[in-house]
Amino acid sequence: MIRAIAGAVLVAGACCACTPVAPYQRGYLARPDMALAPDTGTAKALEKTYSAKEAASGGASVGGGGCGCN
Amino acid sequence: MAATEDREAPAPRARGGALAALTQAALALPILAIAARAGAAQVGEVGIAVLGYKERGLIKVTEPVIWANAQIAEVWEVQASAAIDIITGASPQLVTNLSGKPVQAVTGASINDRRNTGDLHVTRHFGDFALSGSYTESNEEDYHSRAYGVEGRWDLDHKLTTIAAGYGRSNDRVGSSIDQTLNAPRHTDEYMLGVTRILTPLSLVQSTVAIARGRGWYNDPYKLTLTFYPDQILPILLADRRPDHRDTLSWLTRYRRHFPGANATLQADYRYYRDDWGIRAHTLEVAWQQDLGDRWSVRPALRYYTQSAADFYSPTIPRPQPEIVSSDQRLAAFGGLSPSLRLTYRFAGGTVIEGTAGYVHDARSLRFGGGGSEAYTTLRAVFGLVSVSRPF
Repeated sequence: MIRAIAGAVLVAGACCACTPVAPYQRGYLARPDMALAPDTGTAKALEKTYSAKEAASGGASVGGGGCGCN
Repeated sequence: MAATEDREAPAPRARGGALAALTQAALALPILAIAARAGAAQVGEVGIAVLGYKERGLIKVTEPVIWANAQIAEVWEVQASAAIDIITGASPQLVTNLSGKPVQAVTGASINDRRNTGDLHVTRHFGDFALSGSYTESNEEDYHSRAYGVEGRWDLDHKLTTIAAGYGRSNDRVGSSIDQTLNAPRHTDEYMLGVTRILTPLSLVQSTVAIARGRGWYNDPYKLTLTFYPDQILPILLADRRPDHRDTLSWLTRYRRHFPGANATLQADYRYYRDDWGIRAHTLEVAWQQDLGDRWSVRPALRYYTQSAADFYSPTIPRPQPEIVSSDQRLAAFGGLSPSLRLTYRFAGGTVIEGTAGYVHDARSLRFGGGGSEAYTTLRAVFGLVSVSRPF
């Protein structure tokens, strides 16, 4: 677990040496297709579909609740 | 280096004013909110979608979904969604070696279930800090779930970096339509820590670790194992028996990179998962969203999934009979490929229509590195998703 957290911090933290990006340069980052989490409703529907057939789930948020998906 | 990046990624050119508006919208927003509020002047969005999913010879799911989000008084954000799962068809309930080798069998019982679910998510911004609370409820005839979560986000380094931390709790009740006496609890505590970083004017990355500690009833009341032994006349029928706890770890990393010259965006997500049942899983999804003019875009995507088997997975009942054993093939070793294609059309007023078609193919031969469980029955399914969303 510690290794995973350290890894997550490293993935993003290693990028701290990257180019400073001024606010006026962030226009492309505001595009809908740059969203890290897709549309709320549709993303959940698809995620439930996959997780009903696989052992793995979660990772993006907390408090999502469970289901008796068969 | 900085000068090079600046040449590669100048401030977006105005294209009908849209990108200029995006730039204006992006100036004051934290990373996590940037793309969610890309419509600049918009303060909210409503959407409706219908998901259809059909397995070959097994179940069929139809799921209408409705959602809305709004920004209120500049510092509040409210998101809500509701969905109904309508599930019909047959679900495999028995794994038996009657024919010689263990296979999944579909019993006569068919599923006719309905799940109602809804959630509410409220966020309050305090300068560079944001605090969110969420509540989710899901009800089926044989499963009830109430979950809540709290999450804090801090924007650092002129909003180049965002740290997120969260806690969630899920209180579930497990029942069974074939055993009316079953009403068992399952409680799960979840903890999440994440980092999001803007890498360049064209790319960003997010990495999140979530751990969950679950306690309670995990047996699937619909799964049975029927095993015949060569030296025994009568077979043994055993109900699904799993541990009464499950600790999981999910490590999700997302990367986005826009290519202005190609009018396209690369979206890549990778998740590593492990739990104390012995399952290790990897999920990789890569998508390429290509704009075709100002109105249309197309998004081909490929999702790959692979997992190892749970320590107690067995398609037959071993002798001596263990305390815990399950033949549920979702706990087997297998892999899956799922290609999909999404087509998007944006109206001038901001309304967006999307259609997605996808295929799911899970098989033991698709497990990474081989070694898929022999008894795994190949799953083939198709899904379609149509959605309409409108800003306001």
